[in-house]
Amino acid sequence: MNESITESKDVALVNVLDRVLDKGAVVAGDIVISVADIDLVYIGLRVMVSSVETMERLRGAPMSGGREEPT
Amino acid sequence: MSVELRYLYCVTEKIPEDKVISGPGEDVHFIFNKGIYAAVSKVEGHEFSEENLKINLNNMEWLELKVRTHEQVIERIMGNSTVIPFKFATIFKADESLQAMLDSNRDAFKNILKRIEGKEEWGVKIYCDMEKFKNAAIKENEQIRHMEKEIASSTSGRAYLLAKKKEKLADDIVNIKIVSYAQGFIEVLKEHSIEVRINRLLPKEVTERKDEMLLNTALLIEKSNLRNFINNMNYLKEKYNRKGLDFNCTGPWPPYNFCNLSEKGKTQNE
Repeated sequence: MNESITESKDVALVNVLDRVLDKGAVVAGDIVISVADIDLVYIGLRVMVSSVETMERLRGAPMSGGREEPT
Repeated sequence: MSVELRYLYCVTEKIPEDKVISGPGEDVHFIFNKGIYAAVSKVEGHEFSEENLKINLNNMEWLELKVRTHEQVIERIMGNSTVIPFKFATIFKADESLQAMLDSNRDAFKNILKRIEGKEEWGVKIYCDMEKFKNAAIKENEQIRHMEKEIASSTSGRAYLLAKKKEKLADDIVNIKIVSYAQGFIEVLKEHSIEVRINRLLPKEVTERKDEMLLNTALLIEKSNLRNFINNMNYLKEKYNRKGLDFNCTGPWPPYNFCNLSEKGKTQNE
């Protein structure tokens, strides 16, 4: 019935980047972008480079960024 | 002088009936290899050679354009065929090396195509408005309410200390709740999916939202189960909205998260 939850994918670039840059089948092409290069891209996007799994982050100090005012 | 390179978008089992692709990537053509097709574009070395690519990856405008083209091309092909989407900038120098790659991975590709046929990738990202979530979480907490009463009837010095203690307790309550919610949602998503991938969280700078990403998942869903899944997501979205949670559900996507070859470039029969 109601499919309002399905948003247009064009809206959020993050949903596309998240997949196209980070996922997808990997084969040995003639030109290889190394993991380091992809990380570079993420730095370019101001993404924190981190291999920490979701739950690990949740268990750690969740959502602490920007919540507390530095004194 | 710029060299001509081959950019591989996806592998599919049949060519789209509508062979004309217009707009970005309009030069996409199909290379046949014993039962599978590779969707390929010719691209220029000044954009995609190893050294130029490294430079271009830092150009956000260029990157956005190319990433969107990549996605659009695959989505068009996905319209009437099962596809294996490749990672951004999978490049070959000649048709021969591309064919060689198809030769050595053909069986693995066919296995993947068989595995994902009739299924769709969907994405569920759950965001959390921390203020709202916290308020909702502590409102129903006995201990917090008790402390608030105590604070109200204390001297300012003691009230200050108690308020600090209350803050700490509230944070602990919120943290425990967040983890248990996240775990609960993962279980619900699993019920609807053949496979679930939990991906890394992206910070606000990237999501460009005010709230925090709480969970980032990709799901492989049987097409016949899609309605169920969407109905339940709508239900959850409504139910948890007042607790400060927002369900962002997108799809269908090319199955980027479910086409892993077990070893890079190696053939493997499952």
